[in-house]
Amino acid sequence: MTSTPLGLPEDEALAAEFVLGALDLAERTAAKARMKHDSAFAALVNDWQNRLADLNDDYADAEAPNLLPQIEARLFPQSPKSRRWFGWAAGILTAGAIAVAAFVMLPPPAPPAPTMIAELSAEASPLRYAAAIAGDQLTLTRTAGTDAGAGKDYELWIIEGDKAPVSLGLLTTDSVTIPAPKAAAGYVLAITLEPKGGGPDGKPTGPILAAGALKNI
Amino acid sequence: MTSAQASVSYAIMDDPIAELLGKIAAQDRAAFSAVYSNASAKLMGVLLRILGNRAEAEDALQEVFTRVWLRANRYDADKGRGMTWLIALARNHAIDRLRSRRETQSDDEDAMNAVIDTSPRAETRLIAVGEAKRINQCFETLESDKAAALRGAYLTGTSYFDLAAQFNVPLNTMRTWLRRSLVKLKECMEQ
Repeated sequence: MTSTPLGLPEDEALAAEFVLGALDLAERTAAKARMKHDSAFAALVNDWQNRLADLNDDYADAEAPNLLPQIEARLFPQSPKSRRWFGWAAGILTAGAIAVAAFVMLPPPAPPAPTMIAELSAEASPLRYAAAIAGDQLTLTRTAGTDAGAGKDYELWIIEGDKAPVSLGLLTTDSVTIPAPKAAAGYVLAITLEPKGGGPDGKPTGPILAAGALKNI
Repeated sequence: MTSAQASVSYAIMDDPIAELLGKIAAQDRAAFSAVYSNASAKLMGVLLRILGNRAEAEDALQEVFTRVWLRANRYDADKGRGMTWLIALARNHAIDRLRSRRETQSDDEDAMNAVIDTSPRAETRLIAVGEAKRINQCFETLESDKAAALRGAYLTGTSYFDLAAQFNVPLNTMRTWLRRSLVKLKECMEQ
């Protein structure tokens, strides 16, 4: 790390830079991860947030459409079925299920039109995929994030209620079209990071990087 | 102008946003709706400034408010004002999006956008807004290009990489500049 001229301690400099917004993706991700379990560092970030808060006056108000109905529809479904995901998915799936529904960037849609879509994301991960089932095909398109990296693969899973995840294969390119699995609204698509070639024994072993529930459109 | 008036009224009324966040943490949907009415224009301003396009800003606004509902229980009124917390949430989300997006762009294009986003002219207009604030007095103690870089970084979430390109200096020089400026700023604000 860079040395600190004029004696701002490294941790504090990093906290200030995080709040400033000048860090790159990897540094930001590392800083956020650290805030979760290092309360002293989190306090430094909070101090800088307050110290620079008056700069917020420089943000002019902008007209915002009333998006509350969409937001509430996502947060408070009409018929709140208590969905029970299997253990390792629980936390992330909440984020996935409420993931943003707008901005589904799919390749030029070949007929037939999609009947179900899902937005796959997770709070701690920059990876995002848009999923759509049209006719007998499921298409996954990456909308944010990068490749899995050397020696790793992204693996796609479908999960019905409490049941064990079923692998749908690896996502080796930005956009993948595969035969549509048996699916219904509420089934969850999840992407995990696995060793090259996918989870051994057909089971997920790595962290969930993105997940989202299918819904009818 | 509007935002300056808004922050004045929050000060007068103690911290209504903080109060609403407390209610949201207790699953109060009316409070959630009230926060949307009170803060969506400001947060939209933040998102639009950082992301630079309305469609993405609106998409981000939905996500930010979703997080407001889910994370309100983490807000601690002793640690800062409600609006500061909301804006931090919005800025962090927007900057994350910006960084993810930029990994897919070419560096040239990236640096080009940064130049457009943070042109000094854009910043000058803003200095007038809240000049009575201590932070603005402290900015005046910094050299003007460093003050502009610092302000540009904060307001638009510009990365060191892009700032370095914009000011035509090596990345480490930019980092040193900003770190030095941050120290000065902190010292000035503590006076």
